Amino acid sequence: MSLLVRVIGWEVWVFLLALAAIVVVQMLNGHINTKSMLCGSDGSMMKNGGISPARVQLLLSTLGLALYYLVQVMTKPTAGALPEVPDSWPAMLGGSHAIYLGRKAYVRFLGMDGGKAKAKKHTQHGQ
Amino acid sequence: MTQKYLDYLMLVSGWILCIFIGLLGAVIIWKIFTGDIDLTQLISEPTGDASLSRFQFLIFTFVIALSLFLVIAAATPPHFPDIPGTVLTLLGISGSSYLVSKGIQYSDPSGTVNPAASDVVISPTQALVRYGQARQFGATVPRKPNSTVKWTVIAGGGTIDDKGLYTAPAAPAGVDPPPLQHATIQVTSDEYPDAHDLAVVTLS
Repeated sequence: MSLLVRVIGWEVWVFLLALAAIVVVQMLNGHINTKSMLCGSDGSMMKNGGISPARVQLLLSTLGLALYYLVQVMTKPTAGALPEVPDSWPAMLGGSHAIYLGRKAYVRFLGMDGGKAKAKKHTQHGQ
Repeated sequence: MTQKYLDYLMLVSGWILCIFIGLLGAVIIWKIFTGDIDLTQLISEPTGDASLSRFQFLIFTFVIALSLFLVIAAATPPHFPDIPGTVLTLLGISGSSYLVSKGIQYSDPSGTVNPAASDVVISPTQALVRYGQARQFGATVPRKPNSTVKWTVIAGGGTIDDKGLYTAPAAPAGVDPPPLQHATIQVTSDEYPDAHDLAVVTLS
């Protein structure tokens, strides 16, 4: 039975690593589309060369947290339980997502086009 | 005696499951390599742009899958681990952020379709070619960059090979200058047979 458990373990390990490696390689060689992932949809972002700071901070916090957690699991493997993360991490990640979503909602509902449309509507009402 | 049969049955079932999982994993990896499972749009929006919310969800999925496996394999005997509340909170933030992001995007009809995007795009769309001369056309399939296409001349004269090289017919004899004529070239994606694009050639 222990041989069976080891074989299944190796199968899953090889599959997960192969899948992760394929995704990383295909993202790096451009086969998986990553076009405009960090670009904002509003014109104001063009001041920064098309890069949206809200997206960059989310990407960095996600990668940082993911890397931190993987290192925790690999260096301090605890049998029977996933390692804890500091209480501040959910707040930090939640804040990062809130910035990203807030910016996206602002651009969608109150941003450039929406603002112009509202201003135009108000002008028409005024006339 | 019954216990012995049960142990034997468990062992056989375990090996059958092991072989099934191994074959399933191998088939999935193989199909990704051969392109039958297409990952090009793994984190893409319908508009063609990559999605950051999909990407962060993908990262968390991989990290938790690898972590779970490491922890399960480290336990003796292997068993499903306890998951701390903070980790569940992180996953909840990641998943709900993805949902809210999609909600914001899909509240705008232009966020779901890109009018400029097509399944196959020909280039150039118009060309002036002299009788008897050749002109190279190109085609791209944005959803699947390395896929093949089929070229045909659907109206007018001339021929086109499978590389997109159009050769105009010879000029009509006895007419000087030769009259302007038109030909239409169609390119069809092998991947998306319903999608096509056209180019118009003016022969002079």
